[in-house]
Amino acid sequence: MHLARAEIVSNVWKIEVREGDQVGPGDVLAVLESMKMEIPLVASVHGHVGKILVELGQIVQEGDPVIEIDETAGA
Amino acid sequence: MPKLDRPAVADATVSTDPHELPDQRAILAERRTSRFARVEPKGKRVYTARERAEMLVDPGSFVEMTPMRSASPGAGSGVVSGWGTTDGHSVVVVSHDAAVASGAIGAVMAEAIQKAQRFAIDKGYPIVYINDSGGARIHDGIFALHGCGGIFALNIEAQSRIPQISLILGPCAGAAAYSPALTDWTIMVKEQGQMFLTGPDIVKAATGEDASAEDIGGSQLHTKVSGVAHLEVDSEEEAFHATRLLLSFLPTHKGGAQKRHDPVPANPHSVEALPTLVPEKSSIVFDMNKLLDGVLDNGARLELMPEHAPSILTLFARIDGHAVGVLANQPNARGGILDSKASVKAARFVEFCGRFDLPVLTFVDVPGFLPGTVEEGRGVITHGAKLLKAYVDTKSPKLTVVVRKSYGGAYIAMGSASLGAHANWAWANSEIAVMGPGGAVALLHRRALKEAEEPTVLRDELAAVYREEVARPYLAAEAGIVDDVILPEETRDRMIAALRMLTHGQGS
Repeated sequence: MHLARAEIVSNVWKIEVREGDQVGPGDVLAVLESMKMEIPLVASVHGHVGKILVELGQIVQEGDPVIEIDETAGA
Repeated sequence: MPKLDRPAVADATVSTDPHELPDQRAILAERRTSRFARVEPKGKRVYTARERAEMLVDPGSFVEMTPMRSASPGAGSGVVSGWGTTDGHSVVVVSHDAAVASGAIGAVMAEAIQKAQRFAIDKGYPIVYINDSGGARIHDGIFALHGCGGIFALNIEAQSRIPQISLILGPCAGAAAYSPALTDWTIMVKEQGQMFLTGPDIVKAATGEDASAEDIGGSQLHTKVSGVAHLEVDSEEEAFHATRLLLSFLPTHKGGAQKRHDPVPANPHSVEALPTLVPEKSSIVFDMNKLLDGVLDNGARLELMPEHAPSILTLFARIDGHAVGVLANQPNARGGILDSKASVKAARFVEFCGRFDLPVLTFVDVPGFLPGTVEEGRGVITHGAKLLKAYVDTKSPKLTVVVRKSYGGAYIAMGSASLGAHANWAWANSEIAVMGPGGAVALLHRRALKEAEEPTVLRDELAAVYREEVARPYLAAEAGIVDDVILPEETRDRMIAALRMLTHGQGS
């Protein structure tokens, strides 16, 4: 299980994936808003989206897990 | 844990008969090689201390200063020190011999290191420390500590005189970790070099914490989290290559000639992309490296601390053949904000450039200092202030361009005119203001917004007016706070012209 984490204190502005979606490195999972910047949260591994751990508008701290990714073996 | 109980190899004594010299040299070389075979942990270590020094410098250029210096007959001093050249420029090298008491620093070894340091400082040559040492040699007691202190004092004296680079090629504890912290740039080999106050066994005894050498001092920790080291490489060969590249941008000593190369145009594809590269909407991120590609010479660059505080880029590069330090906000990482770590990283870089007369090119697209409890707790005010000081103290040419937005305290901190930039430009679409339009109108029109039937519509209207009337760079240009409003494609030529003027057409 891989966790995509917030890189900065921010609020969850958009969630761009749904549970079960297939994703790969560079795919945008969510967009976080901080300092009036739209900060994309991108996948760093291949896999399927597991649980989405946040809600829209929720404040996340630096390092907080946002989205689970079930890594695809061997990908 | 440093292994200190290995018996010294005392299989031959050094003769004073000149006819025996070749034999003595052969014995010395053989002794070093056979000792090296027993180094623990071997890990990725392949090369002896002497081989490392030879590999760092131009082939055949290494001269060892006191090869026969020895703590006791046959034992060796524990260090290979000498000089050579990189790309034809002289450099002093100190290479710990991990095959002698794990490279632990005893009184004689400290004396040999200090001799090399003294030579480098007095003659004005950069010094490279190849560190692979367990720290102070316990057997030498207070003499070892005194020797280590002497090395530190010379590290500090050297700061105002010559560039110092540290390579971490093995487990470096205590004194062997402190000396690098007093030098300018530290390069670590992944899964081979570690830096810590003290190793895992002593940590366990002192606090009960179970941690591996990598946990407490590995290259990932120090190049990503702590910022103690500035570059992580995969092998010793890469470490030597990075060191030579780094030296290629630096003068040999303070006041020495800057190393100019032939000018190389910027990458033509990047130049073509430059006018439309930056998203007009200031909230959308982009890769600042692509912008730099369209302005700087299309040649070698060296980014330092790429993984630590990545919202700011610090790199050495060339423009018009001049070696320059480049500082740039990176919107692609954490929105390009300044925070405590980014401020420390930036201040250290600017301060270094100032110390060795390197021009500083600053590319600004900054949403501000990151506020909040976490950052205030980290002391962001103190750290941000250091960045201001670094710019003011730096007397080398300082050129700053705002490429999209620059707000508030971060505007001042990013090499503004008020901090003494010699030339300041703003791209035509950029915004410079005390705060972004959204935040500003919320404060300025609080009552109107509260009473409005559709506050978001009114806020957007007011923000648009603010953006046009207050934040546009023409206001700053009319006030003389930026020198000129320019187009992206003019940036390179403006910077080159300013650098030529500020350096009297020479190196700086």
